[in-house]
Amino acid sequence: MSTPEVHHLFHNPIADHSFSADRQTLAIARDTTVELYGNVGNAFKLKDELKGHDKTVTSIDIAPNSGRIVSCSQDRNALVWEPTPQGYKPTLVLLRINRAATFVRWSPNETKFAVGSGDRLIAVCYFEEENDWWVSKHLKKPIRSTITTVGWHPNSVLLAAGSTDAHARVLSSFIKGVDARPEPSAWGERLPFNTICGEYLNNSAGWVHSVAFSPSGDALAFASHDSSITVVYPSAPEQPPKAVISINTQLLPFMSLIWNGEAEIIAAGYDCEAFRFKGGADGWQLSGTVEAKSRPGLGEQREESALNMFKQMDLKGKVKDDTQLKTVHQNTITMLRPYETSGDAVTKFSSSGVDGRIVIWNV
Amino acid sequence: MSIIQQHTADTLSDAWRTINIDALDPDSPANFDVSSLHPPLAEITEPEARHLATQVRQLLRGGDAEGALRGCLDSPVYNGNDLAKEAHLATVIEVLQSIKASEMTPMLQRIYASPGGVEALDVLMKYLYKGMASNSGASSSSASPARTPTRMTPQPTGFSQIGSRSLASSDSTGAAMSVLLSWHEKVVDVAGLGCIGRVMTDFRRV
Repeated sequence: MSTPEVHHLFHNPIADHSFSADRQTLAIARDTTVELYGNVGNAFKLKDELKGHDKTVTSIDIAPNSGRIVSCSQDRNALVWEPTPQGYKPTLVLLRINRAATFVRWSPNETKFAVGSGDRLIAVCYFEEENDWWVSKHLKKPIRSTITTVGWHPNSVLLAAGSTDAHARVLSSFIKGVDARPEPSAWGERLPFNTICGEYLNNSAGWVHSVAFSPSGDALAFASHDSSITVVYPSAPEQPPKAVISINTQLLPFMSLIWNGEAEIIAAGYDCEAFRFKGGADGWQLSGTVEAKSRPGLGEQREESALNMFKQMDLKGKVKDDTQLKTVHQNTITMLRPYETSGDAVTKFSSSGVDGRIVIWNV
Repeated sequence: MSIIQQHTADTLSDAWRTINIDALDPDSPANFDVSSLHPPLAEITEPEARHLATQVRQLLRGGDAEGALRGCLDSPVYNGNDLAKEAHLATVIEVLQSIKASEMTPMLQRIYASPGGVEALDVLMKYLYKGMASNSGASSSSASPARTPTRMTPQPTGFSQIGSRSLASSDSTGAAMSVLLSWHEKVVDVAGLGCIGRVMTDFRRV
């Protein structure tokens, strides 16, 4: 395995990051601004700052084809940043929520985006040509607490949402006039807006940090605060699922997970490194870490001379310098995203952390 | 004071921040039963807990400490009154105290590897924390319900903490605590930090 590409951007937490389709632009949610970094000779240099929010930006997403950036913030607003020759032009989206917006993602066909919020609802937003503005419709019904994360089904109609009421839900965000009728699937046949296709809870019911559909859309994985990931295989509409597999780990909770094909999940979180899970409908297993522990360049121990030992004792009161973690990320990983894919498989993925690092990993 | 002055004073004060707006919102989580979010758990009454205790004791007497431990971990009292919960805690602690230190780790590893073992160790961890939280009860198997965990008799001397305990009971409490602590260490070795996280996250309390 080759070494990961590490970009230490600054000493602030990165709430979310997103690469443009050509991987030349990197958008970072930092404090109240969205920072755009350009790729200059294998390093990322600050190119532009998008200022429009007046509270912490919680999430950000670049639509791969249109290049539009959507950002949402604790100021209860979402902004769509349209690329123009003069720079990015923001458009305010009326979310009609009275709590913080927590998470935003473009649908795969890029006509809609979903915003999770602390207002116990998901705002599904789409562009209305005749009025020239973004309209939001609320998915509200069974949600009893803050939405922490959303994930789109490849058909751009079904939406998975994780919430602090410990449920991962699959809901329909079908909007007449915007969406084509979706193909019937194991999740449901007729899917009018706000159809509840599934509500899942794992045993100990920790709140949900991350949800993701598998590349085919026929399985759902979610990571909860009880250090577990749960994979759900639906059987047929209105039927109990074929299999719900929960893996409780010995690790700290995962903040984010991505699928690599149908048989592998990569998850990372408070343990500051990424882990692989392998399996299928008949069972899943933690199979190891993505990071190789004996990487060159990291294990460089300073010489163990007596002089050095006494120096360390004098300076820090201890012999070993244990302020560095053995992982590349020095703090919680907040978000994983596929970086380079071939078909359904992910060949490279990127991670952002509370330590201000962006790391691009080879799978 | 002019009207304008009064008005500004009202808006500038931060008293409005202390209004509990959730109480005014019919959809707010403050206004619905949180327990409706989870599937209901079967209720276990005190006689049932005591019945289980006798079964577990029989296993212990028969020398099957692992079976006894597994038996109490597989039927935790999640939904029950305080008496049933205390009774089960006493049973678990009795089993824990009867297992030798050298047997702890191999036994935990066997339980962890068995089906449903992760869950069983999570339950064990819950009881360890519950045992540590109640400084009484742990010392004897017949935890009398009168000895509530948080009872503290205020003493005029000012030595309330020391005065409320007799010397003998503080000794046995210390012994029970050291048993719980060594079990805690072993469980974390086997089930990892995730186990502690799950105890804190879980809605099912013992």
